[in-house]
Parts: sequence; C-alpha cells; structure tokens
Amino acid sequence: MWSPGYRTPPSMAAMLPPPPDPKFVLRGTQSAVHALHFCGEAQVQGHPLLLSGSRSGLVHIWSLQTRRVVTTLDGHRGRCVTWLQTLPRAPQLIRHLEAHSLSPLGFGSQGRDLKLCLWDLAEGRNAVVDFLCLENVGFCRGSILAGEQQRWTLAVPGKGSDEVQILEMPSKTSVCTLKPEADAKPGMPMCLELWRASSSLRPLLLVGYEDGSVALWDVSERKICSRVTCHTEPVMSLDFDSQKARGVSGSAEKALAVWSLDEQQALQVSEPDPRCHLSCFALTV
Amino acid sequence: MAVFDTPEEAFGVLRPVCVQLTKTQTVENVERLQAQLQTVSDSALQGLQQYILFPLRFALKTPGPKRERLIQSVVECLTFVLSSTCVKEQELLQELFSELSACLYSPNSQKLAAVSEELKLAVIQGLSTLMHSAYGDIILTFYEPSILPRLGFAVSLLLGLAEQEKSKQIKIAALKCLQVLLLQCDCEDHPRCLDELEQKQLGDLFACFLPGISTALTRVITGDFKQGHSIVVSSLNVFYKTVSFVMADEQLGRTSEVQAKPAVEQRVAELMVHREADWVKNTGDKLTILIKKIIECVSVHPHWRVRLELIALVETLLLKCSQSLLESAGPLLKALVSLVNDECPEVQAQCSKVLKHFADQKVVVSNRAFADILSENLHSLATSLPRLMASQDDQGRLSTLALLLGYLKLLGPKVNFVLNSVAHLQRLSKALIQVLELDVADIKIVEERRWNSDHLSASPKTSASRPRGQIQRRYFRFFSDERVFLLLRQVCQLLGFYGNLYLLVDHFLELYRESVVYRKQAAMILNELVVGAAGLEVEHLHEQHIRTNPEELREIVTSIFEEYTSQENWYLVTCVETEEMGEEPTMKQSGLQAITSSTQTCQVTAFASFSKPSPTVCSMNSNIWQICIQLEGIGHFAHALGENFRLLLMTALYPVLEKAGDQILLISEAATGSMMDICHACGYDSLQDLINQNSDYLVNGIALNLRHLSLHPHTPKVLEVMLRNSDASLLPLVADVVQDVLATLDQFYDKRAASFVSVLHALLAALAQWFPETDSLGQLQEQGVQEEGSRLSQGPATLENNTTTADDIEQFLLNYLKEKDVADGNVSDSDNEEEEQSAPPGVDEDDTGPSVEPPLPVQIQIATDVMERCIHLLSDKNLKIRLKVLDVLDLCVVVLQSHKNQLLPLAHRAWPPLVHRLTNDDPLAVLRAFQVLRTLGGECGDFLRSRFCKDVLPKLAGSLVAQAPVSARAGPVYSHTLAFKLQRAVLQGLGPLCERLDLGEGDLNKVADACLIYLSAKQPVKLQEAARSVFLHLMKVDPDSIWFLLNELYCPEQPTLPHPNLHPVQLRGAPGQQNPYKANVLRLLQELP
Repeated sequence: MWSPGYRTPPSMAAMLPPPPDPKFVLRGTQSAVHALHFCGEAQVQGHPLLLSGSRSGLVHIWSLQTRRVVTTLDGHRGRCVTWLQTLPRAPQLIRHLEAHSLSPLGFGSQGRDLKLCLWDLAEGRNAVVDFLCLENVGFCRGSILAGEQQRWTLAVPGKGSDEVQILEMPSKTSVCTLKPEADAKPGMPMCLELWRASSSLRPLLLVGYEDGSVALWDVSERKICSRVTCHTEPVMSLDFDSQKARGVSGSAEKALAVWSLDEQQALQVSEPDPRCHLSCFALTV
Repeated sequence: MAVFDTPEEAFGVLRPVCVQLTKTQTVENVERLQAQLQTVSDSALQGLQQYILFPLRFALKTPGPKRERLIQSVVECLTFVLSSTCVKEQELLQELFSELSACLYSPNSQKLAAVSEELKLAVIQGLSTLMHSAYGDIILTFYEPSILPRLGFAVSLLLGLAEQEKSKQIKIAALKCLQVLLLQCDCEDHPRCLDELEQKQLGDLFACFLPGISTALTRVITGDFKQGHSIVVSSLNVFYKTVSFVMADEQLGRTSEVQAKPAVEQRVAELMVHREADWVKNTGDKLTILIKKIIECVSVHPHWRVRLELIALVETLLLKCSQSLLESAGPLLKALVSLVNDECPEVQAQCSKVLKHFADQKVVVSNRAFADILSENLHSLATSLPRLMASQDDQGRLSTLALLLGYLKLLGPKVNFVLNSVAHLQRLSKALIQVLELDVADIKIVEERRWNSDHLSASPKTSASRPRGQIQRRYFRFFSDERVFLLLRQVCQLLGFYGNLYLLVDHFLELYRESVVYRKQAAMILNELVVGAAGLEVEHLHEQHIRTNPEELREIVTSIFEEYTSQENWYLVTCVETEEMGEEPTMKQSGLQAITSSTQTCQVTAFASFSKPSPTVCSMNSNIWQICIQLEGIGHFAHALGENFRLLLMTALYPVLEKAGDQILLISEAATGSMMDICHACGYDSLQDLINQNSDYLVNGIALNLRHLSLHPHTPKVLEVMLRNSDASLLPLVADVVQDVLATLDQFYDKRAASFVSVLHALLAALAQWFPETDSLGQLQEQGVQEEGSRLSQGPATLENNTTTADDIEQFLLNYLKEKDVADGNVSDSDNEEEEQSAPPGVDEDDTGPSVEPPLPVQIQIATDVMERCIHLLSDKNLKIRLKVLDVLDLCVVVLQSHKNQLLPLAHRAWPPLVHRLTNDDPLAVLRAFQVLRTLGGECGDFLRSRFCKDVLPKLAGSLVAQAPVSARAGPVYSHTLAFKLQRAVLQGLGPLCERLDLGEGDLNKVADACLIYLSAKQPVKLQEAARSVFLHLMKVDPDSIWFLLNELYCPEQPTLPHPNLHPVQLRGAPGQQNPYKANVLRLLQELP
C-alpha cells in the first residue's frame, strides 16, 4: 500500500523486473512519513483505518475506504512522529465503538519532542488524554504489551544511553530499568519488542542493540536470558513470532537475520530456510 | 290555472273529457284531456289513474285501422299520466307494456311497423316512462319467466330501432329504453338495490337476450364512425352493463348445477337459459369474439368520449367478469393499456386512474390468470415488436410502445414472473436490442472534432445549463421520433424498477459481451435499468413495491462500470490518426480515402475494430457511440446513486476525465455531460469543485498510469482536462504529478511527445492564466533589470536612480512585491526570492550569495522545468510538435517574466534552436518562432538585443528585401499565401520588437531599409499598413533619422533653412506625383512630432 520511493533507478530497472504498482498512493501528508500503523480494530465498513505520522509532527488518520484523511492530529509541536501504536482498549471504549461509527480508538504516538502522547478518539474527540516524557533522544521506538484489567506494559528507551525503561500503564509507574552489565557494552537499544510466552505470564523483551546484537530480557528478573550477535551494523528493526519462537531482524547493513528461541530461552541465529514460514513479520524502517 | 288537489274535484273536471274521448277518438279530444290533466295535481291523478287510462287504452285497443297521429298523441298522453303517477298493479304494468310495444309492430309483416318517427319516439318514451313508474316490488314481479316472450319482443323491437333507424334521436332513445328495460338505467334509485337472489333471477332471465343484444349492439358499435359518437357511447354502455350483469362472476359462482324447474308453461321454459359452466364457456367464447371486434374498432375511434367509454367497459368487465370472460381479458387489458398514452388528456387521466385502481386492488397481482395473460401478451408483443417498429409509422410505433409500457406498468412486480422465463426474457431483450439499433453511417460523427482545444473550459460552461436527463441526439435505424426513444427508455426504466435487477443486469451484460452488434443497445438498456432501479424517473403504480437497496445498487453499478471501463470497451479506435501525428498529412489522406470508400459499402453491423487494422467509418462511429453511451451511463449511475456515488469517484472520475479530453467532439461532450451529472449527484458546486476536491484520486490514477504509458497512452489528457477546468488552488495538488509527467516525457520523448506537449501547453496556459503578471509589476521589474543592464550604458533609469535615495526605491519595491505576492498566495516562498532579485545592484552582492537561494514558487519551478524540455523539443522532427513547442515556449516566457534569474539562462540556451526555427524552417514555424521572439523581446530586451542583431536581423531583413519584388508584382490571390502571411507577420512584429530592444542606429537603419520598400503603393495594402506600423515604432526610437529616411524617399517640400549660414540640404526624394511612396510617406510624416 505504501511505498514512498517506488521509482526504480534506471540502472536497476534493466536488471530487475519493475516493482509491482502500488494499489493507491495516499497523498496529502505534505511532509515525509515516519511512522505507520494499521488499526485493524477500528473498521469503517470493512476497511481498516491507517495511522500515519509525519515529520512535521502531524498524525493523520486515513480511511482506507475513501482513501482520504479523516482526521489530522497535532500533538508533537512540529517534531517528527516516530512511532504509532494502538493501545489495548478499555471495555468502555469498546462500547463506544458500537455506538459510534468512526475510530473510537485510543492510540499512542511517540515523537521527537521526547513525548509519548496517548490519544482518545472516542465519540469524535481528538485530544491528548495523557502524555509521558521520554528521556532518551535516540530513534528507538517503544513497545507495549497488554496486561490484565486495562493495564498494559510499556517499554521505552531509558535515561541512560543503553537502558530500557519498563513502565506500567496507564498509571505511568516505573517497573524497572533494564541496564546491561557494565562489560557488555551493546550500545544503545535500537528497537524493542515486548512479548509474553503463551505458557507463562512473565513479560519478555527483545532488544536490538547498536552493536548488531539481539538480546532477550526477562523483565521480571531484570536480566538478559540470552544474547546473540547477528549483525555487524546496528539492528534497525525486529519482529518476533511468539508461537513459532522465531524472529527476524534487519540492520543498517541491509541484511536480515533470522533467529529462533529454544526451550532454554537461548537465542540462536539460524540460516534462513526458504521454506520457513513466518506467520507474522513486519519491518518498518 | 287552477290546480285540483282532491280526486273529487279532479274527477269532476276530467270526467267530461274522458267520456268525450271514449266516444269519439280524435286527436283533439286526446289533447283536450292532456290539457286538463295539466291542471290536476299528481296525488289527485294517482287516484284517478285507472279511470284516465281507460279511454286512452281503449283508443289503442280499438280494432281496425288507426291513424298514426292519434296513436301518437294517445301514447304521449299516456306517457304524461305515467310520468306523474305510479303503476301499482302488476297486471296493469304487463298490459300497458304489451299495448305500448304493440304500437310499433305490424302483425302483417311480422316486423317493425313502418310508422312515423314521431310515433316511434313517443312509444319508446312511453315504455321508458312506464318502467320507471312501476311501483316498488311490482317491477320485480314483472320480471318473471312468464313475461319472457313479451319482454323479448320489446327488446328485439328496441334493438331493431337502435340498429336500423336513421334518426339519431330515436336510436339513442331506443338504447336508453333498452337500458331501462334491462334494469341498468342510470337514474338514481331505479331500480332499487337488488339482493343476490333477485339479481340471480334477473340474470337468468336476461341471459336469454344476451346473444341478441350483444350481437346487435356490436353491429351498432362497429358501424360507421359517422353515425355520431353518442350512439356508440350509449351502445357501449348498454353492452357492458348487460354483459357484466349477466356474466357477473358473483352470480355465476352461485349457479347450481341443476336447473330449478320454473313453474311456467313449456313454451316459455324453452326460452329460459340455465347459466351453467358450459353455457358460460360458450357464451364467453362468443363474447370474446365480439369484444375483440369492439375493441379493435373503438380503440381507434376518433372521438375521445367513445374511447373514454371503452375504458369504462374494460374496467367493468375486468372487475366483474374476470372469471367468465377470462378469454377476453387479454384484449381488454391490451385496450386499456394502449390508452394510457392516448392523445386526449381526459382519456389518459381516466386510464391511469383505472390502472392505478387495478394496481391498488391487486387485480393483476393477485390474479394469477391475469398475470399469465399479460405475460403472454407481453411475449407476443415482444415477438412482433421489431417487425412493428420497422413497418409502422411514428404514430403506430408510439402506440405499440405505449402498449408495451402499459403491460409492464400493469404487471408491476409480477414482471419477474415473465422475466424468470428464459424464453420471455430472451424475446423481450432481443426485441429491445433490435429496436434500439443505432444508425452509425453518419460521417459527421467521426469528423467533428473538438477544435477549440485551447478553450475547453468554455464548453463545460455552456453545457452547465443543460437540464438533467437531456441526452445527446441519437440516430436510430428504425425510428426518428424522439418520443419513441423516450418511451423505450421508460420501458427499460420500468423493467429496472420492478424487475429483478441482478437477473436483468446479468442478462444484458451477457448480451453486451456477446457481440459488438448488441453492445451499444445493451449499454443503453443497462443505463436505463439502473436509473429505473433507483426509482427516480419511474411513475409507479404499485406503491408497496420495495426498491433496490442502495448498497446492492452500488454493487451492481460497480460491476457494470467495471465492464464499461475495461480496456477493450473503453479504449476503442475512434479516429484514424491516433498517435502518429508525425505522419499527419499522409495519414489524413488515407483517412479520407477510407471515409469515402467505406460509406458506399457501409454495413450497419459494426466490426470489432479493436483487431481490425483499418477501421471503417461505420466501426469508428459505432465505437464513438458506444463510448458516448457508456459515458452517459456513468452520469446516469451517478444520478441513480446520488451521494453514494462519491465512493465510486475513486475509479470513475479518471476515465471520464480521460474522455473529456478526447478530440472527438461527441465523446468530449458526452464526458462533460457525465461530469456535470456527477457534480449534481455528489453535491459539488461546479466542475472545478469536483476536480479540485477529488484531485487526489485523479493524481493517483495519473501517477500510476504514467508508469505504463504504452498501456495508457491517454494519461496526459486527464491532467490536461484537470488543468483546463480548474484554478490555481489545484497547482499544489498536481505539482508532484507534473514532475512525473516531465520525467515520463524524458523517457518517451521520441515516441509520445505529441500528447505530452499538449499537456505542457495546457499546463503553461493554465499557469499563465492563474498567475497573471500585472503590467505595472512587469514594467517595474523591467526597470529593475534595466538598472542592472544599464550601469554600463548609462541609461535613463540610472539617472533616475540617482535622484532618489537607493533605500527609498528598495523599500518601495520590497513592499510592493510583498503585497503582490501575498495577493498571489505565495507568501513565504517568493518573499525572499523577490527581495534578492530586486536588491539594488552593487550592494553587498557577496553577502547574499547563491548558496542561500530560497525555494522558488511552484509555478516558476514548473515553468523552468518545462522550458528546459522545450529547448530539446524545439528541434523535433515533427512539425506539429515544433509548432506546439513554440507555443509552449512562448507561454513559458510569459510565466517566467518576473523571474529573470531563471528566464535568462534558459533563454540563452533556447536561442540557437530558436534562431534555427526563425531562419530555416517551415513558414508556419517561422511565424510561431517570431511570436516567441516578440514575447522574449518584451521580457528580456537587453539580453536579446545583440543576439538579435547578430543572428536574426540580417536574415529577416534579407528575406524581406528578397520577397518585396514578388509581393509587389503579385495578384490578389497572393494574400492567401504563406509567404504573404510571413511577410506581414514579420513586418508587424518588427516594429514593437525594435522599439522594445532599443536598437542602435545601425541596426535601426537595417530594419528601416528592409521595410522601406513596403511603403510602395505597389505592395499589397496590408503589407503597406504593416510597414507603416514599423516606421511608427521606429520614430519613437529615433525620429530624426526616420524623418531623413522618409524625405529621402519622397520629399513634399524642401526644408527652409533655420539660419542662412547653414548649408542647404538637398533631399533626394523626388516630389513628383508618380512617386509610389508618396501616400505612405505623407501619412508617416504627419505622425512625426
């Protein structure tokens, strides 16, 4: 759907078949898009909504039925929006969904103004409900994990350059700070993925680091279970399938690495198997 | 006159008269009696009824020959008595009845007596009055089986009168009397309401007269039109009243199988009819024959009252005898339906009322048999429809179609019952398709072009006032009347309204795909089906009918739309010279040949021109119509869906715009119409609004299709249409796609330049129009540029500059430009740019170095990019492209005039190819190039001066000089040649250009020398005129030298010396009358200050 730079350079065109046509190009953000997120939950007549965050700090909500901007939100004081994520919805919000046709969704947006805003769009509102000040100026995006009773866990880069902070939301209570051991020196966290194994309730966190390694943290025990170096350049993005215990990471060296997690919670880099099936994989650069 | 109220008094008065009458029966006595009767009150008369009647009856009964006059007056008197009294005894009634009827019978000849018309009339009146005077139940006891012979006698008498008499009055009276006799008269409470049993008895009784009555009346009804409408109306009235009474379903339903033996003598019993099933069947069959005859005759009766009565007949019979007269239901319904569109409004209204009544009562819908009959009728009509349409005249066609329409209206939702049968649907659809066949042999369709491509925006405006629903004139093979087409559309709309839309759309889409022969018609039908389904233009009888739900309708429309706009149905060959504009002349030649040769053998069947190497005119026409119909369809869809159509705009708008840019006039018109429809349906104010609001959809389509230009060669047209129909607010929306277009042009400049150049032209024309450069600003800036340029040449501007402080001017300019730009809407962008440009020369130029150059306004950026391409395309090998490029270049210069920093380098690069165009190209190109040169000279004079003088002027002057003797010798035809136009254009252009460029003396002389020859009276007048204009401009630059030059040619008077010390000047111009330059020089010298 979205492909900002789809034109192939002439030299490439000779070698490769032309890339497939985009189905539609959504126009109108007026500045570069830095974050995208599909809202499958809030559908308008069978079409999901799409959130896009632009460099100018605006969040656009697109209807994929009319392929037009439904709402534009401004909450990051003109600074680039880097991450968009729908939040686990509170039960009363779901009720609103039934009564209200359009986007009664709450979502969070992270911006380069070091703020993480929580939005509530129920009943036509478009206001920031709450916000969280971040202390890390890096590009690392946050990650969330839904918990019980409307609570959810949020992982964001922490104050120290190599730290990851875990917060309990929506109360914003800091649960812990994950700091690698002094001698590890993995550099800054570049990407985060909070997840939970189906067998246990303990939240786990995958972190891609600046030195090209991916680490699995046990959040409750605040320790690294396993760490594997799969890239030579910083890890830019990663995704993990908790069902199959396999993950993919991409790095600045333009390579993907596939790795898996064994029963002992140890990460292992595996050769990409052409037959291997990834049920879920999303990378955003 | 005294009135006698009591019987006693009356008796006293009447007795002598009655006695007198009984004794001598003369007319006078009867009249005397009647005169006396006038004085007696009704109540008194009632008491003496029998007494008074006696002498009268006696007079009638007296045997022997009687004088007619006497009988007449007796009957009249009798009638008078009866009209004032009641008959209370059955016997009296019967006797009077017999006596009266006997008056008209001659026992000798066994038939109607040959008596005077007055007598006949009197007797008829008498009978009628008698029946009315029967009191209460007496009338019912009168109608017992034993009366049959006498009643029959009277009935046949009256029928005979109605049929054979000459007098209209008698005929009508007889018919009315018959009606009374059969207890069907129109008067109030006569007869009183009958209960079921009584009705049945009467029905049984009258049944035996039915054959006689019906046949006789049919003869009357189907008789000569000239007999007068009232007779036919009355006959029809009696006919349907009688038939509907005897054949009433209500009565027949209760008829027992076994005939109850009436207690009458054998002779009478034989006359009695038992209305059992067989009888009903037989009678029904026979009546059907008669009814058919009647309908056939009456439905085309010239008098509207007759047709109105026919409606009453149909209504009564269908409502009362739907079972017994089932066989006739077909013809009856047909008659009714065909009258729906009667020319007489009363008939129409009544007919619609009856139809509505039927629909409300669910006569057809609830009656399976009727629906069967209707669908059979429909089927047979559909079968004969093509034949009828081909053979009938327009009136006949109209009535045939009105019939079809009526059937559909009457069937209403039951129409599905017909459509579900494959045979019926096939028949109907084929019939419609055949009838709607277009005549595609007209050459004009292909030939008409949208020539005014530069002013497309004018065409939507004119058509903006076009009322909705009006469509392009079509030419059909089988009919020419617009109303016929209107009816056909209504038929389709009704089908769409009542029919199963999925079924119909599937069926017609199949036909659409099946053959090119069907395609246009199927599309037309589909369009109307959708409109009908939306229930917008349908006059519906069946109110409870549920419409198609909008969601479903949208799905259906989407599927039709996809079919329409698919590659093979949307991109059809519509003209010979498709893209090969390079070989235009030759292609056109062959195209014309194709046109002339193919019209001879033109078959109406179109070919799949898609695969044909050389399409015929017919197939191209057919294609054009197909596209038009499909475009119109899209408009219809929008109309049908209303606001819901907005969701389809994503896909629909692009193809429509593509066709709006088509060069075939019809297609472009149809597309514009379709856009207007979309505008109205979706609630946009104007085409401009529509395009601006949906530019994201359009731009997306353009951007995607540009990637596969070979598959979508028409893509640039969409942008062209967008630009032509919008305003400056569109520019930011299309800016990125313009870059795409330019990039694609770079990729395909050798193959598809033509279509791109026209987009560029549209683009620049739009820019020039959207961002006009006001004169004051242009001059101011020019001044600024002159300041820069004239620092060396010490021009007047610099002097001026010195008198005011530089800061003042700077501030003034800055403020002015700021305001100007705010007004233009390019606030932040252009601000700094202007500032930099208009900064006075020599002030800290190094500080505001080129490194901090602010972004240019979008339109300037675009114009710069386009001009860049123009420079390359200027030397294209295709003349048509070169011409267009020169136009674009011209516009580029206009747009860029305020941005010299961009314009000058580009102009520098454009110079060599431009010079080449000027000096070494087709005359047409020279003309355009000259135009560019003039514009360029206007915008950057200094820059151009030296180059012009060096590269261009010598050649221009040379050609002028060389051509002068030719034009001087040439005849009047010369003014039509290209050479003449070239000379003239050059002369016209030179003057302002020279003035603008501020040429030096030497160059000025060159120009003047070249033009002088054209001042000769031998030259064509227009060239003289143009040459004069050159000198007028030159005078402004250097009046003295021009004075001298002119005087050298022709000297009107030697100048007087201002001072004797000066040398006398000898001017060479000869003052003679024969000097060819005299006239023009004199005129010019007058202008000289």
